[in-house]
Amino acid sequence: MEASEGGMPHNTLMIYGIVVAVVGTYLTYLNVVTGIAVFSFFGGIAAIAALWWGSDTIKHLCSYGLGTGVPSAGMVAFGSGAIAMIAGTKFGLASPIVTLILAAILGAVIGYIANSIINMNIPVMVTSLMEMAVVGAMTMLGFAAMCTGTFMFSGLVVGGMTLSMEPSAGAAGGAQTFLVTVLPEFAGSLIGGAALAVIFFLGAMALQHPFNACLGPNESQDRTLMLAIEVGFLSMFVVAVMSYAFLDLVSATVGVAISLIGWFYSYKQYIALSKRDAYDWLDAKPIREVGGDQ
Amino acid sequence: MSALGGAAAGGEGINPTGTVVGIVILLVSIAATYALGFSIIPLIGIIIGGALIGFGVHFVPVGGAPAAMGQAPGIATGVAMLAAGAGLAGLFGGAWAYEATGDFAVAIAGGAVGGGLMMAITCMMVNATYVFAMGIPAASGKVDKDPITGDTFPAYKSQGTEGHGLPFISFFGGVIGGLIAGLGGTLIYIELLEIYHVGLPAIMQADAAAIEPLAISMAGILAIGFFLVNAVLAAYNITGTIEGPHDPKFKRVPRAVIGCAVASAFCGFISMLIVLNTGM
Repeated sequence: MEASEGGMPHNTLMIYGIVVAVVGTYLTYLNVVTGIAVFSFFGGIAAIAALWWGSDTIKHLCSYGLGTGVPSAGMVAFGSGAIAMIAGTKFGLASPIVTLILAAILGAVIGYIANSIINMNIPVMVTSLMEMAVVGAMTMLGFAAMCTGTFMFSGLVVGGMTLSMEPSAGAAGGAQTFLVTVLPEFAGSLIGGAALAVIFFLGAMALQHPFNACLGPNESQDRTLMLAIEVGFLSMFVVAVMSYAFLDLVSATVGVAISLIGWFYSYKQYIALSKRDAYDWLDAKPIREVGGDQ
Repeated sequence: MSALGGAAAGGEGINPTGTVVGIVILLVSIAATYALGFSIIPLIGIIIGGALIGFGVHFVPVGGAPAAMGQAPGIATGVAMLAAGAGLAGLFGGAWAYEATGDFAVAIAGGAVGGGLMMAITCMMVNATYVFAMGIPAASGKVDKDPITGDTFPAYKSQGTEGHGLPFISFFGGVIGGLIAGLGGTLIYIELLEIYHVGLPAIMQADAAAIEPLAISMAGILAIGFFLVNAVLAAYNITGTIEGPHDPKFKRVPRAVIGCAVASAFCGFISMLIVLNTGM
């Protein structure tokens, strides 16, 4: 059942979403190749592509009577996505691909449980929850890559290095010597500092909002998806601000600038689409005071 | 959302094929965990925690949008949101108790009290809003008499509604649900923390004390993920609104317990892959 007529077919949209999400996440690897972190913002673009696709998936899933509201789909997407994403980052350069596959398997199992054990009997349940888990995992991976400049486990858990100096055994000549070792600092990292939890809910809100806000008899695909992009850029802005803690000043500022420009553009587009779909557009005026005694 | 058409799904009864396949997935997850050389005790704890969350969520009186308009009893929001609120409150309470005491039983009790307290406060403020702000009395639509206090409802129930407000049995169910869900969430957190506490220093060749914040944060984030998955599965089982333990929908609870146990087993297996030594 189509929630709204016309527009891009869901499968085309899904392919664009997956390709941009994976390629965008991989483009952050240019940070390692070139040695400067200005390419981190590609992670945010990848996350927005995943959210854009996920909003359309939510639309298909929620046009069946779930009875639990649209936000629950966003919550299960990110709940399963978080598990797959953290486990997936362990696999080095293959991380984005492994994350995608792990999330798809996890989503398929949860979809099967919802459909067959819980007895939901919704035809699109398994594929939708599979897509939702991939969307959740890829969004978190993209935002994490944007925030820290890497999508690998070691980069996400090590915040910095501290030098530890211990007095070593008396060297020849009686001079005081120190044994200097480099200790990784875990508490200041994205996962160790639990900043990933912020990304979790930034992504979940961006995923569940667009269809929840646009649903109804007059829902149109391009407007819902434009809202997804707009909310995605808004979440990307917060992630860009968070990235000041992990990246250098220039790279983080590039992220902030791109997310602000993207947000401003998509917001203007969304308002234009809302005006197009609205029956009439009236500017609100203050309530008129009735003068004199009445 | 039925706003777009489409019938509400979710019949009664257990689907035998699905349940058998689910139990096979559960056993395979346990076997795979054992085969990879991990202890299966934490995984059993995670499965029990997940099943407790699925069970506890069914006690919570959820009214949804009709409750916000005073046309159905319960708290005026969705199942997933309420369960997440109660469970996370319990999780924070339990995590803090575990940090402060290191005692398993105290931490579990702390989690249960945290979740129950959150639900008790929510239910009380909801009733205050219903009675003093919206001016509606508490009346259940599913039963004529409160099973605990013996209050009668039909005389107070407005025409055209399924009841309104938050009767005592629903309040009671909310607190019990918060206790059980908070307990389950804390159990999952502690078991995950045990896994990472031992596993992370081994694979990262780091000092156990230095890696402590990482283990705690990772267990916390994953526990939130587990909790949301289980809460949403339970919400799908409820399909919309439930009044509490006296609601006929409460009979569906075995499905949710099986489903949540299977989901927790598989998610638990995936979360153990993090401490698997892949050599990368």
